[in-house]
Amino acid sequence: MKTKIVKNSSLYKWSRNFKRIQDRFYKNQYKLKRIQQIETFIKQGKFQKVYHIKQTRLDLDIPTVDNIIDCDLVLVTHQGYSRFSCKGIIRWIEGLINNNKNLYFCLNRHYLNIDNSNIGLELDDDYEKAIVQWLKLSLPDYTVKELSNRYVDKGKHFTWSVPDKHFYICKN
Amino acid sequence: MQKLIEHFDEYQMVDNNRHNYIRYRLGRIKHYYWLKNRKNKDVKLLDEYDDFIIKNLNPGKTCVFGCAGYYLDEWIKDLTVVEQWPIVKTFYPEAHIIKDRKDLYHNFQCSFDNFIVTNSRSDHWVSLEGLTEHIKNYSQTIKDNGLLFYSFRDTQIIGWNRLKTDQQKFFTNWAKNIYNETGMYCVWEDICFVDRSNPFAMDENPDTTNGNIKFIFSKNKQSHSVRL
Repeated sequence: MKTKIVKNSSLYKWSRNFKRIQDRFYKNQYKLKRIQQIETFIKQGKFQKVYHIKQTRLDLDIPTVDNIIDCDLVLVTHQGYSRFSCKGIIRWIEGLINNNKNLYFCLNRHYLNIDNSNIGLELDDDYEKAIVQWLKLSLPDYTVKELSNRYVDKGKHFTWSVPDKHFYICKN
Repeated sequence: MQKLIEHFDEYQMVDNNRHNYIRYRLGRIKHYYWLKNRKNKDVKLLDEYDDFIIKNLNPGKTCVFGCAGYYLDEWIKDLTVVEQWPIVKTFYPEAHIIKDRKDLYHNFQCSFDNFIVTNSRSDHWVSLEGLTEHIKNYSQTIKDNGLLFYSFRDTQIIGWNRLKTDQQKFFTNWAKNIYNETGMYCVWEDICFVDRSNPFAMDENPDTTNGNIKFIFSKNKQSHSVRL
């Protein structure tokens, strides 16, 4: 027998279909509350042209457009955006809002500050409060509205299907 | 309107072998190597971290817990595979199935020279105190001078503030200070985070398969020479 040593890498291949796999755990009988929340927000806000940046297929019932230039709301459910550096997240939001876009941003709390950098802000010890503070302090010229529920995530809240911390961000 | 769900346990999941296999498989990504290796009799795959572990094993008995380590039986003599999912028995009948880590000592007493837990999903979603509790249970089955190879991902540990904590120090301090509770000294560590010189890069912390935080602990022995 010959041994082939392979590099440590990611063997995880299911990100695009993860929600559909989890849906089948329940015979597709249920709907995630977070999905309903996004759809309701878009409907109640009368957004008609949503540009959806996604990784995992969510099967949302929302009116989408294919080009970001045409949209009235940018919706981010792509987990990768939570893996930007914290400075990167703020710069990306500023760039978007300065181009007259409204943003519904879903962040995965378990990825934030992935590069272990010093945020340089006085933040609450409570992590969930600190996330809101960090966004508000970093984006003083914008409206940052938190739309998430508070809970301790022990890996059973479907966070890898739909990121858990939801924010609506727009110009003041 | 469909019923809404927010938490895994709100409604009854399907319960059959296929479902249990898929759930097991989603959380035990190194099962991939077992699937690959059983199809190729001539060339067997091993990743660099497995190779590192194998190079550093003490002679004697080795336990691999909760991380699909049955594919390692090609390289590790006297390997005991312990899992918590009964479905494993259907494809690897030699596996020992336990319900709780506390059953480890009851089943194996203090018999292992090495113990391996590589990025085990069932160890996750606890705080560092929770990891210490897990290690207490593993330690009871490890002989003096025995080694525990323990790795996980920062993203799956809860109970801390990622925006305020120096993560390197946080995990190092934990590992260096669990001896009184567990009898295990940290003798080696490898903690890696991504470089975000490009602030818009999206890659994960290194080695999502084995975990970006890796330790070797030694039972009641403060130092150990590690082969890199």
